[in-house]
Amino acid sequence: MTEHVVLHEAPKLAPMLVSSMARGLVRRVSGRRPASLPDRVVQLTCSQDPDRGAAYQRLCGFAVSELVPATWIHVQAFPLQMELMSAPDSPFALAGIVHVTNSMRLLRPVSIGERLRLSSSYGPPREHRRGVLIDLVGEAHVDEELVWRGVSAYLVRGEKLPGMLPESQPDGVHLPSDVELEADTVWRLPANLGRQYARVSGDMNPIHTSALGGRAFGFPRAIIQGMWTHARVLAALEPRLPDAYRMDVRFTKPILLPSSVRFGARQEGDHWTGVVREGTGPKSHLVAQITP
Amino acid sequence: MTDHTAVVVGGNRIPFARSHGAYSRASNVDMLTAALDGLAARFGLAGHRVGEVVGGAVLKHSRDFNLTREAVLGSSLDPHTPACDLQQACATGLEAAIYVSNKIRLGQVADGIAGGADSVSDTPMAVSDGLRHALLAASAAKTLPARLAALAAIRPGDLVPDPPGITEPRTGLSMGEHQALTTTRWGVTRADQDELALASHQNLARAWSEGFFDDLVTPYLGVTKDQGVRADTTLEKLAALRPVFGRGEGATMTAGNSTGFFDGAAVTYLADADYTAERHLPALARVVDAEVAAVDYTIGGEDLLLAPTYAIPRLLERNGLTWQDFDLYEIHEAFAATVLATLDALADETYCRERLGLGGALGEIDRTKLNVNGSSLAAGHPFAATGGRIVATLAKLLHQRGTVDGRPARGIVSICAAGGQGAVAILEAC
Repeated sequence: MTEHVVLHEAPKLAPMLVSSMARGLVRRVSGRRPASLPDRVVQLTCSQDPDRGAAYQRLCGFAVSELVPATWIHVQAFPLQMELMSAPDSPFALAGIVHVTNSMRLLRPVSIGERLRLSSSYGPPREHRRGVLIDLVGEAHVDEELVWRGVSAYLVRGEKLPGMLPESQPDGVHLPSDVELEADTVWRLPANLGRQYARVSGDMNPIHTSALGGRAFGFPRAIIQGMWTHARVLAALEPRLPDAYRMDVRFTKPILLPSSVRFGARQEGDHWTGVVREGTGPKSHLVAQITP
Repeated sequence: MTDHTAVVVGGNRIPFARSHGAYSRASNVDMLTAALDGLAARFGLAGHRVGEVVGGAVLKHSRDFNLTREAVLGSSLDPHTPACDLQQACATGLEAAIYVSNKIRLGQVADGIAGGADSVSDTPMAVSDGLRHALLAASAAKTLPARLAALAAIRPGDLVPDPPGITEPRTGLSMGEHQALTTTRWGVTRADQDELALASHQNLARAWSEGFFDDLVTPYLGVTKDQGVRADTTLEKLAALRPVFGRGEGATMTAGNSTGFFDGAAVTYLADADYTAERHLPALARVVDAEVAAVDYTIGGEDLLLAPTYAIPRLLERNGLTWQDFDLYEIHEAFAATVLATLDALADETYCRERLGLGGALGEIDRTKLNVNGSSLAAGHPFAATGGRIVATLAKLLHQRGTVDGRPARGIVSICAAGGQGAVAILEAC
């Protein structure tokens, strides 16, 4: 029986992060934790903040506009994902989980003035050679009309859950870890970009906001939020996209801050492929595809 | 409605000076005013109400929102002369000439002046977005506490000024880095680039020594001649320079075969052919037609500086001409490799068919007709001033040629511009 939790305001991300980390430590000591994903839908109906929306559009490279990018709806639904994943009955802790793919579909243009009914729930867990993939399924409705749907897949390393499905799902993201594509455009990511993005997105994870935070998770410096890179790619292609589209992204390698990366994209019919690559090396950071 | 013909009466510019040198204390308005005054002196325009003066600058202060009108008011032209600012990066001067010639051809004005000025020495510096937003919020605040609260948002990092962008906003690459990609893609060699640069210096030096620029240039602030021209440069000297753009084998672009930073201003005087007869003005060349094109360089895989290769075939087709039908070619030397890649592209069967959608390649041209009196590599390239320099130079050259095979001598100007744009125009001797 699905449990419905209706929130009246967006949960604050920082306290959730802290309590989840604390819970993770306790569980590591006690060795006890829930065995499966709770069957729960978290829901929130809210107005969008035009100031924050404009700041988001500017920071990610979109033109400031009445119509919002698909990734902005993800940003607004993100606290609901966090609410689910940081709940006491969540079988894993937030620290150390890795966002591996993201898929979203914008079903029609959405205006910043529209009230959104956002929801988030778990999809069935999926097998992964290094652990388990947890899908967070988000939806945005305007009144009864579904306008946006997104699936974020997170990898929990070294864990298994009962009832896992095979990794490749009909609805999943089928993207290689790299594509043959020239990438000449240079994006320079300043050292404080993680903090700037944290301010507009609410994603205050210290791994993104300070070099110290980055080091705590084994990186030499802070890394940019993958959703910024995702949004930056969408911003580069958005003027050429139809009103409704699906965008799939695979995060292949974190981007350290500050750094320069390269971007390239190719259109075949109505199908776009994009890549963000290292500034000087050959490796990809992100692979994206956009289809009608 | 009667037919109107737009002709180039003449031109005037100040010598182009190396940045942070002789013109470092002069602003764009100052230089444009000097160029207008020289033109007015040459054609008796003091106190004359010109139909319209059109010009611009690439690096522009916000206070110069009416740059051209301010220059008119500071010049000897009748203050009733209207002016308009226009900007299309390095094609500004040529686009301004196209604008004026179109008004003449429509009968809206009898005469007009087109040009531009640019100073790298007096470049605008902007405050950071953080400081700017805080100052704007403070000035909009109604109470002192609100004003202080707005100012309190300023962070130390916000106090660092923002120099003008030197990169294409959408690709993060400088013009040189873009050209380096094109240079590599087209396999333009170092030797060919240096040879073109050498020819530019030798041709410009010869033109100066022959007095070609005597009625096209007015000295300014003690400068009497373009400072970029090096009559004594050699292929050996050019070959010794270290590459500044490109990587590995593609690193062939040096300070010798790329344009540097210059200050300067140039204007061209255009008029209706009948009007020149009435006022006993010279007529050097007729503005036949023009075309502007743009390329999809951000993610379309096209070359930023090769937009003229799109404009040229469209212009040729409309005028029933072939690429070989010109007696003079003026292709702006942003980089030597830009000129060479442009010529290579138009001679490339695959490029012309697949990129340009043509039936085949436009073919090769006679290189002895190219930039015969030098171009930007030697003269220097104060961005918005370059179009005025080239239009006046070509018009005078065509007038000197007069007729070729019983028809008026014909020339083409091609200028590439930031933002993946390019402007081209056809002139014919009067």
